[in-house]
Amino acid sequence: MDGAKVTPGRTAGLYVGAAVLRLAIFTLLPGLPDLLTGRVEISTPVTSFKRLQEGLFLYNHNVSPYDGGVYHQAPLFLPLFSLLPSFASLPIFTYLLYIAVDLLSASALWKIADSGEAGSSALFTSSRREKRWSGFVIAAVFLFNPFTVATCIGRSTSVFTTCAILHAIAKAVAGAPLGAMVALSFASYLSMYPLLLLPPLVLLCYDRQRPERATKSSLQFAGICASIVAGVVAILFQMSYFITGSWEFLPSTYGVQLTLSDLAPNVGLWWYFFIEMFDSFRSFFLAVFWLHLSSYVGGLTVRIRRQPLVVMTLLLGIFAIFKPYPSISDTSLFLALVPLYRHVFPLMRYTFVSAAVIMYASFLGPAFYYLWIYAGSGNANFFYAITLVWGLGKSLLVCDLMFAVLRDEWEVERPEMAGKEIRQI
Amino acid sequence: MSIQQPPDHGATTFESPVSSTGAATVSNGAQSKKQPPPEKPSDVRRRSHIILAFWLIVLCLGLPIWWRTTTIYRADLPVQEMLDWADGKACRPVFPLRISIQANALQEQEAQNLLRLTQHALDDLNDFSGHHLRLQLAPPAATENHDSESVLTIRLVPGDTTTAKFDPHEPMLDITYPPNAIPSPTSSSSSLATYVAGQLRSTFAEEQATISHLLSTNAIPSEHRPQGLSPDVSESLSKRTTRSVKYAPTYHLTFSLFTSGPLPSSWDIDGAINEYMKPVLDVLSPIHNFTIDTQVQLYAAPGVHSQVLNKEDLSSFINAAEWPLSPSIGGAPTINFIVFVGNQTIAAPSQGPGEGDDAPGSASHSWLIPQWGTVYLLSLPDDTTRLSSEALKQPLLTFTSHLLSLTGTPQSGSLPLRLSTLARIRSADLLLRASSTLGSLARLALALPSISIPSRVADGVSKTMHHLRLACETLGGPEGLAHARIAEAEAERAFFEKSMVGQLYFPDEHKIAVYMPLLGPVAVPLVMGLLNELKAWRKRRREAAEQGAGKKKE
Repeated sequence: MDGAKVTPGRTAGLYVGAAVLRLAIFTLLPGLPDLLTGRVEISTPVTSFKRLQEGLFLYNHNVSPYDGGVYHQAPLFLPLFSLLPSFASLPIFTYLLYIAVDLLSASALWKIADSGEAGSSALFTSSRREKRWSGFVIAAVFLFNPFTVATCIGRSTSVFTTCAILHAIAKAVAGAPLGAMVALSFASYLSMYPLLLLPPLVLLCYDRQRPERATKSSLQFAGICASIVAGVVAILFQMSYFITGSWEFLPSTYGVQLTLSDLAPNVGLWWYFFIEMFDSFRSFFLAVFWLHLSSYVGGLTVRIRRQPLVVMTLLLGIFAIFKPYPSISDTSLFLALVPLYRHVFPLMRYTFVSAAVIMYASFLGPAFYYLWIYAGSGNANFFYAITLVWGLGKSLLVCDLMFAVLRDEWEVERPEMAGKEIRQI
Repeated sequence: MSIQQPPDHGATTFESPVSSTGAATVSNGAQSKKQPPPEKPSDVRRRSHIILAFWLIVLCLGLPIWWRTTTIYRADLPVQEMLDWADGKACRPVFPLRISIQANALQEQEAQNLLRLTQHALDDLNDFSGHHLRLQLAPPAATENHDSESVLTIRLVPGDTTTAKFDPHEPMLDITYPPNAIPSPTSSSSSLATYVAGQLRSTFAEEQATISHLLSTNAIPSEHRPQGLSPDVSESLSKRTTRSVKYAPTYHLTFSLFTSGPLPSSWDIDGAINEYMKPVLDVLSPIHNFTIDTQVQLYAAPGVHSQVLNKEDLSSFINAAEWPLSPSIGGAPTINFIVFVGNQTIAAPSQGPGEGDDAPGSASHSWLIPQWGTVYLLSLPDDTTRLSSEALKQPLLTFTSHLLSLTGTPQSGSLPLRLSTLARIRSADLLLRASSTLGSLARLALALPSISIPSRVADGVSKTMHHLRLACETLGGPEGLAHARIAEAEAERAFFEKSMVGQLYFPDEHKIAVYMPLLGPVAVPLVMGLLNELKAWRKRRREAAEQGAGKKKE
């Protein structure tokens, strides 16, 4: 797969192919976008396109978009989408916007792949790095991944977060800390959870600084990065305040994610748990779930200090499992980054199992949801059980990738052990 | 990382996927187990940092959040005072009833003497200290009019024989006496005085019995408790209590017209209610609020189709499945009044004693369903399209009298007297109810130390006690009733506070079930990692000390 020369023609071909595929689905299957928009696997309360339209309608009629408690997304989406011609009359422009965002994400991914950061970072060079896929292949895997396509067709606003995160990584790899921090601020502004990626991203930026203008002190560098993020987020908040005229958007967007006030079913693990939760323990367990989600950041960053990109990949995988409103779009982002580690694939032990489990869950999930909601012959446990399996598949993949990366590090340290069986002691 | 660590170093959570080299590749039987190479100091330090990173989150964020989100707020409750109220120690319900005597035909001294004798006779008859009748002489100037301070005015009028008659509109008792019945100033007894005392006693007997029944069923210490309620009296009282609707501050009255055919299709219920029922509702308004709605249903089939209804049929006459009689609207209990237009009649013996209306005119038209309402059978000419207000007079009068018995009004005496008695009974009832609710709340707070008590509850309790105190002071009067109503409502609100009810059945042992399933698996690797790390650290220190000692020796 690798080694093939990437010509401009092939690049254009890939992008055109992905765009045509999406446009074809949009135009030839006009019922499909709305069907996918309604699927719980794609649209969560904080990313749903339907809710965005509701907020947009209120915003265009000079009513606060957060009235009615339907819209939970960032206020800056509203002016962006009201600049476009009305969705009802000319949907093609919305389609084109979503396709463009997907292509932008793919180009960022391409840059990350071509930088070779996955195989050899500043502090670590894998002995297997020669065996990798080109940016073309990785971008193609992302663009033609059914999860990515479904997210794009379902017009979930999480594609914007995906794009911002990928651009943050691409900028960091390219040695542009400022651009990386601004991109991460946008991602955090849109979805809040990417803020947890700040520590590994700062490390990645620090490692990939251009030598001519490198800051030596790591603490100073981290301080500058954190203040850039804080500043950009503050500016975004201020703009949101001017747009909506009040700070109401803070509890309606981030508050909903923090308190999980909308218990609509999704592919994550939170909703079922909090439906069953005793009211007096609700706030405590909300805190526990959030702490659990964020506790991985410190440990992973310390452990895999030499490869910050791996940390970010693993964290994105963990977020896709454990965040409050996950959708398949988060999984598609994780699956987009996994192929960067083609060189450690031979070290992974459960590729077949995890791939099978993920596919099993993605086929049975919709079926079980149908049984529960429409056919009425199942209940909520059916759907929750399959989301557990889905989470299990992804955590298998995360663990396996982590194992492979650590084994790779270890083989560099002790080349004589390469290829030998290992055992935990 | 743990790959090179000695075997006694356990792996922390994150290190688990990483394993150590297989020392098991033992090719030579003679060769002992291969030891892994020693760990690098940087790896050891890194592992400590990882464990530290997790523990910092647990200690700096987890513990404060746990403390903040699970501490139980308990407002201070005056528990002892609340229990005192429940035990009846805080208030002794006393109803001083003032009865004024108008004796304009008598001389001042004669009247005083008669009054003294009557009071003596009354005191001899009375055995219940909480319910006290006190006589007073009305000033002669205040003729004819009822004195609002007193509950009853007795008008002594000279006549031929000794008779007693209640005024139907005012709480007045007209007593006529023969001229020779006036006691002489020296006599120690008088037939007139005994007669008046007997009349008064029988008038208030029912109220007295009801109140003492109330007190006896509540936790009132025995010294305040009246003695000698005969079993049959108390049985009839509890029967009446079961018939009446449970007390609520608001009742919802539903007037329904059900017709077996297409006619009549409308009724002048507004006018009829205003004319026949409104006066009684107005009188009851200090005790209850009423909301009213009406409905008409054509072609309504009753539950029983036989022409003549027996007593057994009456209970199944209501067609609960098809008639739109909602059990209760907006929390207030509903009292249903049903006019059924049809040609069915009630069999004569079906009228049980005390059941339904005994007035001769409507003897076989209506019956009362305990705690539910009344059904009135109305037969009309076939072509009546609209029920006029006059046609509804008899049903509504029946409904009014049934409403009184459904609200628990005593049955003897004139209407004004019955209503004032109802007000006194209600205030006693509400006072006791609020007190016992307070007691339950106090016992609940004592029994469940882990239940949270919001400040709203404490507010409610202090309001309740304030109004209870006021009610206790003004018992018997209209303010007493108003205060008792507020106290009861506040006590109920405090007791049924939403956040407390949920925790009522949540014992401490359940907390294990809440915490363990998630936090247990999380805690095991955390704690084990910390312990292993501490063990390794101590071992390193010991080795370092030994090395130091060895060097010193050299």
